[in-house]
Amino acid sequence: MKFTKTLSAAALLSLFATSALAYDADWKRGRVYYRSVCTSCHAVQPGGTINPSTKTKAEWATYLKADKHAKGKDTVKQYVSKAYRASIKSGNKAAEKFADTPDQELMDDIAAFLTKGAKDGDAPATCN
Amino acid sequence: MSHLFNRAALALCCAGWLAATGPALAEETKPEAKPVKLTTTADHTKFKQLQKTFNSGPEVTKACLECHTEAAGQIHRTKHWKWEYLNPDTKQTLGKKTVVNNFCISIASNYASCTSCHVGYGWKDASFDFKSEENVDCLACHDTTGNYKKPPGFAGNPVVKDTEFPPGSGKIIKGIDLAKIAQRVGKTSRDTCGACHFNGGGGDGVKHGDMDTSLAAPTKEVDVHMDAEGLDFTCGTCHSASSHDVAGSRYTPTAKDDKGARIRGKADKGNPATCVACHDNAPHKKEARLNQHATKIACQTCHIPTYARGGVATKMTWDWSTAGKRDAEGKHIVKKDAKGRIIYESRKGDFTLAENVKPEYAWFNGRVDYTLVTDKIEKSEQRTPINRMGGSATDGKSMIWPMKVFRGSQPYDPVNKTLVTPHTAGNDDTGYWKNLDWDKAITVGMKDSGHPYSGKMEFLKTEMSWPITHMVAPKEKALGCVECHSKQSRLAGIQGIYIPVRDNNRLLDTIGWAVVFLTILGVLAHGALRIVSARRQL
Repeated sequence: MKFTKTLSAAALLSLFATSALAYDADWKRGRVYYRSVCTSCHAVQPGGTINPSTKTKAEWATYLKADKHAKGKDTVKQYVSKAYRASIKSGNKAAEKFADTPDQELMDDIAAFLTKGAKDGDAPATCN
Repeated sequence: MSHLFNRAALALCCAGWLAATGPALAEETKPEAKPVKLTTTADHTKFKQLQKTFNSGPEVTKACLECHTEAAGQIHRTKHWKWEYLNPDTKQTLGKKTVVNNFCISIASNYASCTSCHVGYGWKDASFDFKSEENVDCLACHDTTGNYKKPPGFAGNPVVKDTEFPPGSGKIIKGIDLAKIAQRVGKTSRDTCGACHFNGGGGDGVKHGDMDTSLAAPTKEVDVHMDAEGLDFTCGTCHSASSHDVAGSRYTPTAKDDKGARIRGKADKGNPATCVACHDNAPHKKEARLNQHATKIACQTCHIPTYARGGVATKMTWDWSTAGKRDAEGKHIVKKDAKGRIIYESRKGDFTLAENVKPEYAWFNGRVDYTLVTDKIEKSEQRTPINRMGGSATDGKSMIWPMKVFRGSQPYDPVNKTLVTPHTAGNDDTGYWKNLDWDKAITVGMKDSGHPYSGKMEFLKTEMSWPITHMVAPKEKALGCVECHSKQSRLAGIQGIYIPVRDNNRLLDTIGWAVVFLTILGVLAHGALRIVSARRQL
């Protein structure tokens, strides 16, 4: 019992700390990055583009948490990283525009857009 | 043992917490490291007034007005609130409250549906209180979450609890959390303005042609100014507001702006939403000859080669006369084209849609005369203009403008010789969209708008012009010379001005070139004789 109480208190403390630091994600920036970087690349791949509305909020959350891109060949985060943006910015305006945005902020922005645009989100969205 | 384990667990959690917050706590000692929002001066999540459950829109507005004490009064003075406007030039009383169009026709008796785009709450009939402050809707323009919605049929009210609508349909409208939205208010955006302006006429891109949801986050190809990866203009960048009154008007457009670029500190009551307001009257630095064109041709004419370019089709025609058909089972019919776009509905009639449309062109001086429900119309084979765009080649105030001309056929009273205002939207016995009965719909609608109806109806062919001004293309995509200077000129219908190549005359050209040829021949002959005679003298 005591153990449970101790853990609950610790969990609450951690939760508080997390929310105090929480970044207020910008779904509009996520929309631009998703459509301009993710979609523009996917459009020329065999699998084609992936509308946010093709997955539910839970499916997107699972996908982002797993962080496996191309069935685990590489990571999703890699394609949001500053290093990746730097590598494509000469030919991609969104990558250039958000070149200095911290990785985690941009990841949160994309997650916010996908949550909003998911099949069961507030505004199911397409790639266009 | 368990005691030791508890301690260890607590120590681990605390270590995790410190690892997460340690750097932040350390940085808190430095004032410059304090997390700060750069897009707003007030974090609305911190306001106690907004930390509660809101059961209606007016409750949110009450909270807003506790700090923004003058905001509602300012809104009360605007077209966005009044939906009424007295045109100082034509003396016509306009605004959505009064005008008739050839899309969904009129708001009279259709308030509960149409006022989902009003910046207010509760406008369900003609008794709406326009003096109420708490009925002003702050969230419609200041929502940043993109989750604020006012579904048609609720008189401009948001839905806060899951609601079946229409009742008995089995369709559920999800309730929205107004507190979450109120805590994240901010500046207006393309999304907030677009929620209504992209969907004018009853759907995405239907009305304007140069405004649709593709402008929410457009590429440079779609709009060079609003390009989400580039300049990223919001609507308010050009349509700047003063005391909540937004610049720019469809009723009194600025067709020719000769005031030059706006400069800080310079008193200027002109329209900030013109091209000239930023680009000045002579914007072409490399090709000065183009500046001469800019004295007669609106910038939009060359720089918006086509509209509906973002992948969303716009309606080009709407024939109400074919509405009312039912299938063999007596049910409403819906037909779609190969792209899945609706081209016929029992409740609305036939449509045609198009993308990437070349505009029509007309002289335009900014004067717009509307055909109102009080105006007498003689029916003829000619289309009746719902709005007459003033202008000519000789008035000194006109420019050649690109237009979307929307053509349709709409109900008309042949005895009173007027347009009519049918009751279309509504889940009641007289709503046309439910029962497909024109007589009931027009009787109720005309009673609501306060005008006589003879009981007889026909259909009248009409057209309505919409100046095109958004979807400005990159300069590389602006029209080339031959688009106008050719026999297949885009400006074929423009009279009163000489346009080289378009207007050439073969006989005159032959004579002209003959004169040029003979002149050159004369000069060469003269020169040759001078050389020969000079040599002889030597």
